[in-house]
Amino acid sequence: MGDLILTMKGIDKTFPGVHALDNVDFELYRGEVHALMGENGAGKSTLMKVLTGIYKKDSGTITYDGNVVEFTSPREAQQAGIVIVHQELNFLGHLTVAQNIFIGREYMKGKKIDDARMIEEAAKLFQRMHVNIDPTEKMSNLTVGKQQMCEIAKAISHDAKIIVFDEPTAALTETEVEELFDIIRDLKKKDIGIIYITHRMDEVKVITDRVSVMRDGAYVGTLISKDSTKNDIINLMVGRVIYEDPKTKSMVPEGAPVVLKVENLNAGRFVQNVSFELRKGEILGFAGLMGSGRTETARAIFGADPKDSGDIYINGNKVDIKSPKDAVNNGIGYLSEDRKRYGIVVQRDVAENSTMACLDNFINGIFIDKKKEDSETAKYVESLAIKTPSVDQLVVDLSGGNQQKVVLTKWLVRNCDILIFDEPTRGIDVGAKSDIYKLMNELVKEGKSIIMISSELPEVLRMSDRIVVMCEGRKSGELSIEEATQEKIMHLATMGN
Amino acid sequence: MSKKIQNTPGSSKKSIIQRLGGQNVVVLLIVLALLAFFSITSPNFRKYSTILSILDYSYYITLIAIGVTFPLITGGVDLSIGTGLICYSLVGGYLVVYQGWPVWLGMIICVLAGAVIGLLNGILIGIMNLPPFLATLCTMMMTRGLGSISSKGLGIPWPTAGTEGGWFRTIFKLNIGDLKLPLGFLWILLLVALMSFVLNHTKTGRYIIAVGCNKEATRLSGINIKTVYIKAYIISGIFAGLASIAYSAIFASVYPGTGAGFELEGIGGAIIGGVSMTGGVGSITGTLLGVFIICILKTGLPFIGLQANWQQIITGIVLITAVLIDLNRNKKKLIR
Amino acid sequence: MSKKLLSLILCIVMVASLLAGCGGTSSTPAQSSAPPASSKPADPAPEAKPADDEELNFAIIVKSYQSTYWLAAVKGAQEQMKIKGVNATFNGPNSESDIADQVQMFNDAINSKPDGIGLAACDPSAMLDALQAAKEAGIPVIAFDSGIPDAPAGSVLATASTDNYKAGVTAAEGIWTALESRVKNASGKIRIGVVNQDATSESITSRGLGFIDKIFELCKAAGKSPAVVGNDYYVGKAKDKGNEGSADVIIEVRVPSQTTTELCATEASAILNQSDTIGVFGSNQVAAEGILTANQNLGVLGSTDDKVIAVGFDAGSIIKAAVKDGTMYGAVTQSPLKMGEVTIDLLIAAAKGEPVSDVDTGGAWYNKDNMEDPSIAPNLYD
Repeated sequence: MGDLILTMKGIDKTFPGVHALDNVDFELYRGEVHALMGENGAGKSTLMKVLTGIYKKDSGTITYDGNVVEFTSPREAQQAGIVIVHQELNFLGHLTVAQNIFIGREYMKGKKIDDARMIEEAAKLFQRMHVNIDPTEKMSNLTVGKQQMCEIAKAISHDAKIIVFDEPTAALTETEVEELFDIIRDLKKKDIGIIYITHRMDEVKVITDRVSVMRDGAYVGTLISKDSTKNDIINLMVGRVIYEDPKTKSMVPEGAPVVLKVENLNAGRFVQNVSFELRKGEILGFAGLMGSGRTETARAIFGADPKDSGDIYINGNKVDIKSPKDAVNNGIGYLSEDRKRYGIVVQRDVAENSTMACLDNFINGIFIDKKKEDSETAKYVESLAIKTPSVDQLVVDLSGGNQQKVVLTKWLVRNCDILIFDEPTRGIDVGAKSDIYKLMNELVKEGKSIIMISSELPEVLRMSDRIVVMCEGRKSGELSIEEATQEKIMHLATMGN
Repeated sequence: MSKKIQNTPGSSKKSIIQRLGGQNVVVLLIVLALLAFFSITSPNFRKYSTILSILDYSYYITLIAIGVTFPLITGGVDLSIGTGLICYSLVGGYLVVYQGWPVWLGMIICVLAGAVIGLLNGILIGIMNLPPFLATLCTMMMTRGLGSISSKGLGIPWPTAGTEGGWFRTIFKLNIGDLKLPLGFLWILLLVALMSFVLNHTKTGRYIIAVGCNKEATRLSGINIKTVYIKAYIISGIFAGLASIAYSAIFASVYPGTGAGFELEGIGGAIIGGVSMTGGVGSITGTLLGVFIICILKTGLPFIGLQANWQQIITGIVLITAVLIDLNRNKKKLIR
Repeated sequence: MSKKLLSLILCIVMVASLLAGCGGTSSTPAQSSAPPASSKPADPAPEAKPADDEELNFAIIVKSYQSTYWLAAVKGAQEQMKIKGVNATFNGPNSESDIADQVQMFNDAINSKPDGIGLAACDPSAMLDALQAAKEAGIPVIAFDSGIPDAPAGSVLATASTDNYKAGVTAAEGIWTALESRVKNASGKIRIGVVNQDATSESITSRGLGFIDKIFELCKAAGKSPAVVGNDYYVGKAKDKGNEGSADVIIEVRVPSQTTTELCATEASAILNQSDTIGVFGSNQVAAEGILTANQNLGVLGSTDDKVIAVGFDAGSIIKAAVKDGTMYGAVTQSPLKMGEVTIDLLIAAAKGEPVSDVDTGGAWYNKDNMEDPSIAPNLYD
């Protein structure tokens, strides 16, 4: 590691109603990979947005490469050599990969954009990264993983001295994560400083040098990665140890009836002849790699996507689900993986979002009973510990984890008996995760049944009574929780490759 | 080394349109089919004078369609181009006919007026963040009133072909002896080529597409999106100005209070030609072809005896179909 | 301020401007929206004090003071004023869509207590309240150019306007001078086209109907079997529509969806493109100009026997030029001059308490031979 390239001291930032950054310190050495961790709402993203010129700080100093700097726009920061790869993919779908990478700094031939040169440079970039992407492909045609790779390529191509990665591996497969780590090791050798925001404890140990933790807008402390345990980090983040062991025994009572039976479901490439059963009071884990078809299966069951063939039985009766409305009427609720796009109506407030799925219950004559809406919602805000100033708060202003809780509220208010959770704790801090696990357990104790799609194996092992593993559109196997291990799941998830 | 994951969109079926070679090809085929249909059902359609009529009619619509393609690609819209083009013609025409200004100066005023309104639209939308529909609806009403005021409620007859100022009509219709040449079409083709280049190969065009794809991402890439919007709407305004010249050159007089409805033909032509209402997609040649469908329908339907109101219904159906196809295409993208 | 508030304010501004300024009709001075000038029984004048001649004062409000058509009307009134020895003030809004302005002017006129008010209403329905006020103030009102069909009883005593049906008949008689022999000697089917305004404007539809009925009559008298085809409204309202199947003279009526130049041109094109067309009539200025525009590409119009005979309506520099060089055989002009004269006469009579009734100021036929006549020329505005 080289010398200090970045020192942030006493950074303070307040938004209306929220003291987002409270006198935060942070430093980075050249060639260092420095993890930045904390619960959602802790201020990590905000701190980085201040650094990269998206937000303006209220006070504090930033010393970069020996000089005190004040960036007023992302472009300024970029030109100075600080780049960020965002958590939410921000790309231009109708333009090509090469055009996306060089957007804003195109190669020109006089007045004409030199697309040919951009394609060349992009190809070279991908070669250096050992990644196989066609620079002339339209961005919207790529898989999520590949899109993220392009974002990373874009950041690297900036000749940056500091690169900030905000949850970079969220949408990557295991292989792509390895590719990313190779790239990062490469960058380290070039003396580039890397700030790595993540929730994944295992990655911290593998790729980072130091870990800084934030909590509630304040800086808590810094640890050396290789000398710290998961508990050490979690302690700093939440101030308590909540790490629990995997489930050893199924909690489903003997003789529990089958509430949902799916038979020979087919829906395009990603759902091929899938059959399974869900029993009352059960948490059925759905494991598998990205692209294995778990989300597509859920969407087909929920009626969000049309199915080619297959039968669905609820409590023994065959049902015809052609649309989400049918599914909801049959008591099925679905929390999608991309909550911003599919789960919440960001421009509306918490109360409205919560009652959206069953507004009928809140109708008084021809009006919506706002008081009833608010009071019902308030109950859930409390029981789910949703961090929001009030039920009238716009959902867009909440942190990711709290938004997820709002989506959950929507289905709980509807009293759905069968809940499908798709990556329920993605992008959510440890404290909120724990809340959600507790909730899920309570729900199944009450007699509801849950299908939980998750890419985090520890989570799958901890929560499921039974596990269905999918691989490339097919169900490759089923494991009881007693017999399941990470290796067995992984084996089934990669079968047939 | 790296495990290659297939680059496929969510739906593996290519839409019919894609299989036929893309929207432009389909639209071109429809144009040819329409021409064939009308030629067969009405012998009078097959004359050279009919082609001249179709072209005459097409100039002003094509010009506003080319211009409005740019705001459409940003995900916005410009409703002021219809009453706008009449307004600019009235303003310029008033100066020429009643104040004795030379015709070339009047033409420049037309384009300048368009640029000014375009700039106003750009400021309202790009800087003050008004929804484009609302902002251009306001400028639409403003230009309607403005036109009336400038011409003092009168219709303005720009100088006719034989007279001193009438040379400007020959820009579009050149008569050499008995031969009538639709010179205007040549200029249209040149402008199509030029604006195609601007859209696809210059920064202005590239950023207009980018903003239409994802406004936030473009902003975060360090691009000043305010100027992008302003440029898009100024282009639209300038082309409305050019369209006003075309309209005045072809038609005898320009009357205030008209023009409402042209913008729908221009926008409709662009959408039929493949511009997406959600932004980020569009081509200038596509727009040209889309406008031609509308023009051929408008000229051809009376030939087969259809009364005027049926013409409107049919044009409306064509437009709805185009919009539905556009929406369907976007729906496919969301399913991944 | 918040985007919502700004949007709301803009909406209010828009609605306000709509109410204030949107006149709706794309009318030029020539396209008056007068209803057919059916002769109303003479209304007894309200309690107007019989005034002595020299001191009679009137207020005259035109549809739009700046237009040359109205300038001609004003001129006609002014001449008559001098002859009869009365006074009048003239006023009018900037454009025919400034309805609110005209209402204001009318109300101001009431306050100046004239012996009578002459009015060419931009929007007849907007004037009703003001007319009631005039009636209650005992001020007689004479309407000119456009009638006011729903005027409160006894407020408008008479209307001086063009009898549009008769004007259409005049046009038919005019075109017959060129077509008569061609029709009589025709061996096959022949066609005469009519380009009209939409059925919503009663005054101008009667022009079309006048033409259609007269041509029908003339053709029949010449031994032919005419039939009226095309737009359903006109076909339905024609006195006799004949039998299309056995007809040898087709009177084809086309109506564009909006009366704009380009749409009229398209309809005219369809008529002119047919090889059996020998004549065509455009019943208002825009339609006539549309016919001329369509001719740019076809070159079929003229005044000789091998050309298509076109007849227009009103004037304007384009039509005038076409009539002068023979491209357009002739046209029918309204008589704004006479309208102004007649209005003064009617006002004088009404102020004196004499009975008055509607007057048809008529439409005059003109072609290149009589365009310059002093009785016709002043009516031919630019």
